[in-house]
Amino acid sequence: MSDERSPTVPPSDPTAGQPTVPAPSEPAATGPAAVPALRIVGLRKRFGDKVAVDGVDLEVPAGSFYGLVGPNGAGKTTTLSMATGLLRPDAGSIEVLGADVWRDPTHAKSLVGVLSDGIALFDRLTGEQLVTYHGLLNGIDRETVATRVADLLELLDLRDAAGTLVVDYSAGMTKKAALACALVHAPRLLVLDEPFESVDPISAANIRDILHGYVQGGGTVIVSSHSMDLVQRMCDHVAVVAAGRVLAAGTTDDVRAGSTLEDRFVELVGGRQHNEGPSWLRTS
Amino acid sequence: MVAHLLSLRWQVMRNGLRRSVWQVVALVIGGLYGVGVLVGLVAGLVALSFAPAQWAWTAAVLVGSVAVLGWAVVPLLARGVDQTLSVEKLRSFPIPADRLLVALLVCGVLGIPGIVTTVAALATSLSWLQHPLSAVVAPFSGLVGVLTCVAASRVLESLTTRLASRRRYREVMGVVVFVPVILAGPIIGFAGQGIGSVVDRLPGIAEVAAWTPLGAAWAVPGELALGRPLEALAKSVIALASLGLLLLAWRRALASALVAPPVEERTGSAKGLGPFRWFPATPTGAVAARAAVYWLRDPRYGGSLVVVPLVPVFAVFVAVTGGNDWLLYAIGPGIAALLAVTLCADVSYDGTAFAAHLSTGVSGRADRAGRVLTLSLFAVPLVVLATVLPLAALGAWQQLPALLGMGLGVMLTGFGASSVASAKFLMPVPAAGESPFKSPPGATVTSALGMYATWLLSFALAVPELALGIASLVTGSVLLGVLALVVGVALGTVLLVVGVSRGGALLDARGPELLTRLRSARGA
Repeated sequence: MSDERSPTVPPSDPTAGQPTVPAPSEPAATGPAAVPALRIVGLRKRFGDKVAVDGVDLEVPAGSFYGLVGPNGAGKTTTLSMATGLLRPDAGSIEVLGADVWRDPTHAKSLVGVLSDGIALFDRLTGEQLVTYHGLLNGIDRETVATRVADLLELLDLRDAAGTLVVDYSAGMTKKAALACALVHAPRLLVLDEPFESVDPISAANIRDILHGYVQGGGTVIVSSHSMDLVQRMCDHVAVVAAGRVLAAGTTDDVRAGSTLEDRFVELVGGRQHNEGPSWLRTS
Repeated sequence: MVAHLLSLRWQVMRNGLRRSVWQVVALVIGGLYGVGVLVGLVAGLVALSFAPAQWAWTAAVLVGSVAVLGWAVVPLLARGVDQTLSVEKLRSFPIPADRLLVALLVCGVLGIPGIVTTVAALATSLSWLQHPLSAVVAPFSGLVGVLTCVAASRVLESLTTRLASRRRYREVMGVVVFVPVILAGPIIGFAGQGIGSVVDRLPGIAEVAAWTPLGAAWAVPGELALGRPLEALAKSVIALASLGLLLLAWRRALASALVAPPVEERTGSAKGLGPFRWFPATPTGAVAARAAVYWLRDPRYGGSLVVVPLVPVFAVFVAVTGGNDWLLYAIGPGIAALLAVTLCADVSYDGTAFAAHLSTGVSGRADRAGRVLTLSLFAVPLVVLATVLPLAALGAWQQLPALLGMGLGVMLTGFGASSVASAKFLMPVPAAGESPFKSPPGATVTSALGMYATWLLSFALAVPELALGIASLVTGSVLLGVLALVVGVALGTVLLVVGVSRGGALLDARGPELLTRLRSARGA
């Protein structure tokens, strides 16, 4: 059938029985001349009267762990949706490792793993079926999918829930299942929209380890998050987005410029109010 | 407290109306209907006051019992009809159970069904215009009846909450409820034959019902009018006692619901890969496997098939009662026509989960082909069986090729047409997990028209085999029938392939726009 893409992805090599993240399919090029994992130029999107994304330029170096922070409604989700081919931009160009997402979508999408916020899953499937489904949709052969699904479920601590319908999962388990779906085709770029929301601290720490391992293996991760603390500890690069624009971007140390990321964020975005609430709320 | 909850309830309704003009229209139509029913009822009650007291008594007991029964049963079937004031939402507020009970009781009475019931109950007074004592008592006993209605409905709802928290139960109930609705025609037909004897038995039924909690309250004024004060007293006691017991049971259920939320039960057993093992490990096969799981597991898909088994039931019924067996020939083509456009709502059923197809970059063709594959796997054998079996029973083999050609032709053409249609427009469908028969908000006329247009288009494109088939049936020519079969299968297959590739191309081009509309359809 013409719709099948030959699997270019070699099976991950399980090291000594340990479950592993599917390694990025090709080692990322390094050095200053390397192609960025994601390059966004002049991105715009308008919904009716509201301008959601207002000229975003962003360059995510290959092999970086990139944090995208911003207040609610800043345009993070909109930007990431456009970067992963889920939402058509009004203007601007987006390239994933040199492949234009909107001109060569099939190739670009094979390089990206996506975890979207506020998007339903096919939740009448069991966890195992769901991850398998995503693997097969990516055109990977059955044996490779089976190995990777087993690895990912083990890694994300979903082994016991593999046969349970995803609709019966807790919010945190559902996030982990979605992450497994994003990882199963061994993408070279992971785009995760709010991956830690409603995930318990232990699972969150496990996910962080997995993502760090993935970056060390040559992959690139972009996460959006509300948690400045988390981003400061986890990410080596960060971009601060507000009102559809990039206010600051670069290495985490450059952006926070000596203070904490949270203080720097408040300084950049503004809107912090210094008051203690109405008097009746003070109990002592 | 009571006033707060009441105003909250009305506020929620007002805001709901503000969201959509169609809800206002629905409310106005529903309101007019309710007013019409009430006017008829009041007129009937006034008329009854001129009839013998025994008639008014029978009518009051029977209608009242049906009302109580209706109030009790409806929430079991249509769970979550009114969740405005569900205990789950109120649990976080510090409200004592007693006050909450009073508040919910008042809100129940002052909702729209409650108001209609109350007005009707108070109006029973009118049927006793010639019996002053009964006319005075009627509003009070009627009020007891109304409170019994509301309390019974709430008690049964909370008693079954634990049961209903099992998803499977909810899903099965959601489909089962509509079987009698769809079968209403035949049932009424059957009942029609026995209705004469039922009418004779009504007074007897009323006698019994009057002694049960269902009818006791409604019987009291009549007993007084008929000069049976002792029975009136006994029935008052029955009515008040059952109301009291219901309130106690409700109070207990409420108190425990306020502290202990019902836990959703997990479906535990390992299920394995299921259909994902049966289909080829390609994107098309994966879509087909996923569709197979959904056909088996998602009640919205099963719900669209509820009518299918009813086609032969209806045809056999007409044949048996009317002696007219032409419908038996039409079973196969009829089912084919029903199944032809089931794919129209497929992407709409996916909801935002459709994003998985977009972000994995699976081709539109594979998406379309997978969905058609699964449907064909059971639809084609089904149509063949539904055509062959009745003809075998009738021994009318010479009609087989024509009917099979027409059925398969229309169905394959419909698969092709709906493959394009579901990539083009969205159907307003209930979200995953909702009742498959809930009509979702914003159900616009245009999208419903889209489905009918697809259907008409399928018939129009299938005209060659339909014409050949009809000609064969009329002339009795087997040759024309064979031609209809050949043309139907060949042309249908070609149109199916064309539809899949056109729909696939459309999906490749407009996928992101479709997802945007799916998101806004969910009010995200």
